[in-house]
Amino acid sequence: MDLNTVLSKTPDAAYRVYDGLATIVLPSRSEVNVLNPVASLVWDAIDGRRTLAEILESVLRDYEVPREEATRDLLEFVNALRAQGMVN
Amino acid sequence: MAPAHAPATGDFVPGEEWFAARRASFGPVSLDIGVGPLRFRLDGMSATQADALAARYRPFVEGLPPGAPVDLTLHLGPAGVPEFLRLPPGGSETYRMERRSGPGLRDVWSYEFAARLSLRRREADLALVAESGHLFDRGLENYLRALTASLILDRGGLLVHSAAVVHGGRGYLFFGPSGSGKTTVTLLSPRHTILSDDLAMVLPAHQGFVVAGIPFGMAHHHVPDSKESFPLAGLFRLIQSNRVAREPLRGGRALAELSSCLPFVMQETVEARQALANAGCVLDAVKAWRLLFRKDDAFWQVIEEA
Repeated sequence: MDLNTVLSKTPDAAYRVYDGLATIVLPSRSEVNVLNPVASLVWDAIDGRRTLAEILESVLRDYEVPREEATRDLLEFVNALRAQGMVN
Repeated sequence: MAPAHAPATGDFVPGEEWFAARRASFGPVSLDIGVGPLRFRLDGMSATQADALAARYRPFVEGLPPGAPVDLTLHLGPAGVPEFLRLPPGGSETYRMERRSGPGLRDVWSYEFAARLSLRRREADLALVAESGHLFDRGLENYLRALTASLILDRGGLLVHSAAVVHGGRGYLFFGPSGSGKTTVTLLSPRHTILSDDLAMVLPAHQGFVVAGIPFGMAHHHVPDSKESFPLAGLFRLIQSNRVAREPLRGGRALAELSSCLPFVMQETVEARQALANAGCVLDAVKAWRLLFRKDDAFWQVIEEA
């Protein structure tokens, strides 16, 4: 996976962004997950259209973090989401 | 009839053929019960079964005229099998309830029952492995709990794994997973009206939300002190501690904590989405806290400060 990748949320996931934090339910696993603010921003931006590069720019606009570090964290996070079946 | 398939666990999985087969009822008697705004008609019971349920659910029994419309009619009958899901050797596991959805149909089965809900007809066939005793009670009540949790979503409500206690004319909801202290809170409130020690219903009202007990919201098949609803004053996530304190529970953390205590509805995406939306509305209207408490009633003092 690289920054040109476009991801979609799995249609099985139910979620709600409430007060800046995303709560995600995966019915197949009966799990409720809550994401931190940055992860919530990334999750909310995953829409099947935007590339990870575009999502990275959103993160950099909202948070003061070095680009290299943000890129590494973003790829690590979306890989984790994919491993858990939360994005395709 | 042979099961649709027999997994290695020994579970009996009721398939299409099993649900489609016509089954006898237990008898000709019916009973209507009210669960918050929902009306359930339990049909196909023997007089003995109906009398026992009428006595147990007494505050919730509805004297509806014959043929009056209800939200759902349940046709009860014997399953003809000793169990559906099988407990593992040792006899305990996290409660399992399997489900399967088809066009307009929802099949659910657990240890003591299997049921097919027809959404269009607003009817359900409920097959129970026993005609009396704890297997009958548990099967019937667990299916009614699951139905209530699902149907109340359309009314903007939630069924919450919680204790609900009336204090000063208002309802306080204490939620948390098993073992968090829900029953303890009710036992520490002997002069209060107890609406639930396990499951309570939260509903939108003209102003804010109200909380109400349900006939099968107490452990050990007791019924709550009242079927009335009370303005919901606060939501408290129980944390056992050696001190007594409250800490604000806000935003996504509050939503996650509350959502973790919504039984039955997090196993299906559409229901889970509606449940999250409803929970968000509740949290918009009612403050949530983490309540650290110990085994005395000092927590009420802290709550009153809230």
